[in-house]
Formats: sequence, C-alpha cells, structure tokens
Amino acid sequence: MAMYRLEPFCGGEIQVDLPTCMYRLPSVHQAPCDSDGQATDPAIKMLESRQEDILKRLYELKAAVDGLSKMIQTPDADLDVTEVIQTDMQSAPQCNLADLDTILGKDYGALRDIVINANPSLPPLSLLILHSLICERYNVLSAVHTHSSVVKVPENLLKCFGDQLNKKSRQEYQLGFTLIWKDVTKPQMKFSIQNMCPIEGEGNIARFLFSLLGQKFSALTATLIDSWVDVAIFQFREGSSKEKAAVLKAMNTTLDKSPWLVGNELTVADIVCWCTVHQFGNSAAIPPNVQKWVKSCENLPSFKAVLKFVE
Amino acid sequence: MALTLTVSSSSPHLAVLWTVEHLKGQVQINVKEGKDTVLRVTDTISFTDVHSIIRYLARLAPDKGLCGSHLTEQTEVSHWLEFSQTKLMQKAEFAAGLEALNNSLSLRTYLVGNSVTLADMCVYSALEGSNEWQTQLQQNQAPVNVRRWYSFLEPQLVF
Repeated sequence: MAMYRLEPFCGGEIQVDLPTCMYRLPSVHQAPCDSDGQATDPAIKMLESRQEDILKRLYELKAAVDGLSKMIQTPDADLDVTEVIQTDMQSAPQCNLADLDTILGKDYGALRDIVINANPSLPPLSLLILHSLICERYNVLSAVHTHSSVVKVPENLLKCFGDQLNKKSRQEYQLGFTLIWKDVTKPQMKFSIQNMCPIEGEGNIARFLFSLLGQKFSALTATLIDSWVDVAIFQFREGSSKEKAAVLKAMNTTLDKSPWLVGNELTVADIVCWCTVHQFGNSAAIPPNVQKWVKSCENLPSFKAVLKFVE
Repeated sequence: MALTLTVSSSSPHLAVLWTVEHLKGQVQINVKEGKDTVLRVTDTISFTDVHSIIRYLARLAPDKGLCGSHLTEQTEVSHWLEFSQTKLMQKAEFAAGLEALNNSLSLRTYLVGNSVTLADMCVYSALEGSNEWQTQLQQNQAPVNVRRWYSFLEPQLVF
C-alpha cells in the first residue's frame, strides 16, 4: 500500500486543437509503402535493373580475375611461393610424389613451377614432346601465354598443350609448366629460385626435363646421351651441309647396332636428335637406319601429338 | 679398364687438362700427347668432344661434384658449358655474353653452387682464349665481377 497518493496533474480529457493551416502533408513517419506510385515509374525501374546488371557483371569479372590469378602461379607473378608450397605439402596427391621429391632434391618446392620462354618462329619441338612425356607421368598444370614482344602467334602454337578447360586449383597439380611465346633467340627456362640463373638452350632444358622422368644412367651412358644432344644442337642445327651429312652417317652407324641412339630405351638424345633432324634436316638425304629410327620415333604417341599440331 | 686420354700437343684444351689434374688420385687416366684430343673409354667408344670428355671424367668421380651436386646444379652447369661454347666464342655476342656473365657473378664466388665445377672451368678457358677479354683485362676495362672471379680462379689453375 502506497503511503502517498497523488492526484493526476492534468485532467483526463484534453482537447487538442488541430492547426488549421493551408497545407496538409502526408505523415513522414509512416512506412513508405505509399511511394508505390513513384517506383513504378518505368525510367527508375530501368535504372535499377541497369545497376543490378552492372553489379552482376562486375562480380563476374572479379571471379574471372580471381580464377586467373590462381591459375597463373608462375614465378613471374608476384606471389609468395613459400605459402603455395606449404599448402601443397598437405594436400598433394601421393602417387609419384616421393619420386619427384628425390629427383629434385632440396629445391623441390621451388622447382615445381617451370617457366619456358620460346620463340614462336622456331618452336622447340623437343620440349613439347618432353612436356607430353612428363604429363604422362605427373599431374601437370600447363599453360601457354604470349609475351608482348611477339605479335602474331599461330593458333596451333597457342593450343599446343591442348585445351586447358578443367582448371583445378594449383595445389592439385605436381608440376606447373608454363610456356611463354616470346621474342628470344634461344629457349630459356626460369625457376622461382632467385639464386639460380636462367637456363638457356633447348638442349639444356631438354636434359633437365628428361631428368624429371627419373631414369638413372651409368656415367658412360649419361655422357653418350649428353654428347648426342650436343651433336644435335651444335653440329646438326648450326652446321654446314657437310657437317650434317657427317652427323647422319654417325647416327646411321649407331642405329645399326641399337634401336635407339643410346641403348635400348628412348632417351633425351633421341628426342632432341629427332627434332633437329625434323626441323633442320633434308628428308631426301636420310640414310636407311635413321629413316627407320625416325619412323619408330613418330610412332610414339607423344611425338605424334606434337607432329600433328606442327603440320 | 684404363682410360687413355690423348691430348693435342699443338693446342691443349685447358678445361680437359684441368679436369684431369683435379681428379688426380680418383680416376686412373693415362695421358699421352698426340694430334687430337681423344678420350678412349673402351675399344669401341671414345669421346672427341671436349665437353663430353670432361663430363665423362667428372661423372667418374661424383664425390668431387664437378658436374654439380644435384639436378638444379647439373642443369646450371650444362647451361654454362653451352654458354662458354656459344656466347663467349662468337665475336658478335661476346659483349652481351660478358655482361650476362658479370651479372650472374655479382653474388657468387663460383658460377654454380659453392665449389668449383666444370662451369667455372669452361667459362674460364673460353675467356682465357679470347683476345677481346685479354685486351679488356690489360686496359683495366673488364667488368668488375668477372675480373674478380677470373683472378680468383687463376692461381688454382696454374700447373
């Protein structure tokens, strides 16, 4: 029970006099459903839909750029490579990985992305063949780009890695292989490791790529392979017709004894020699054993694929 | 199997001699003087190309690491072998080649890795045989990094 009781200050019924002004305004505080009349204005509707359209297109564009930046994780892109590698290690596929690890040694992570600059006027066929051999063995993310230094790159060269439609994230691949058509005198290969110089020369890059396939050779075999690569690059490619004839003769003698240039298996020697003979040779002057060898090279799927798009 | 190396007496190739010297005690080689440079491995196989000879010798003693100790280094070594034979041997490309070499050596003691390899050997001997380089050296115009590297290797190569 309250001690004090107060009487109400005002009386219950107060008569408020409404102003009798000239204008009447609709209540400002009411829900804006009254403005229907304005929204239906077709001009405004059009503007609205246009804005939505633009926003949608911007969003799509952003998604496309995001996708591209994920795709191009080349050393040329400004990207923290160490971060990529760390995530790779957790989710990388298991098959062949230990293999690739042992081949590349301590720089495995940095070498995962191979970038090759090549001149479209003289496509490095051997590298393309090696690329397809590497693809058979590893999960490779391949990409082709055109550098601003070259203007017109033939369509078949742009598509030399086939259609790269089903892009997965970079982490799902074991190797990145980027080919850039560029106005360079010799093919160049670059890595993301800073302390390594760019590797020049088709033969040297071919040797490296072939080593990724992990075949082991004795000192003698390895040197024989290297010497054939040198012969192809220095003597056959740049040599006079007399030197070319001498090389072909030497090849003919070697191929009399073995199916491939070095031993019983296809090596980088065969790949590089075949390419130089194909690109720089005169098909009329090829001796019989070499002809047979050329045929057996061209029967292999990786050679076939490259031949197909070059012709 | 004894290796027989015939060294051309008229123009002995520095890189070959040096490789043999460097591998002394590890690889048994009989060195003879003759008309051409040939490494006879077996009755049927012999190498006449300088790069093949030194590659083979280096591979016989992998511990010395003359070919590079792992794949990246090996690739770099073969890059420099080609470089020494092309860029440094052709007059038209010499200047550009020397500049590239200078840039590569700016942060290095040796061309590849942290020890002497065939790369150093071949580039050195290509420079040594180049008139242009000798002139630059005499006139004190040689690029600084190449000069440092060259004079660093020089005492190791006297024999």
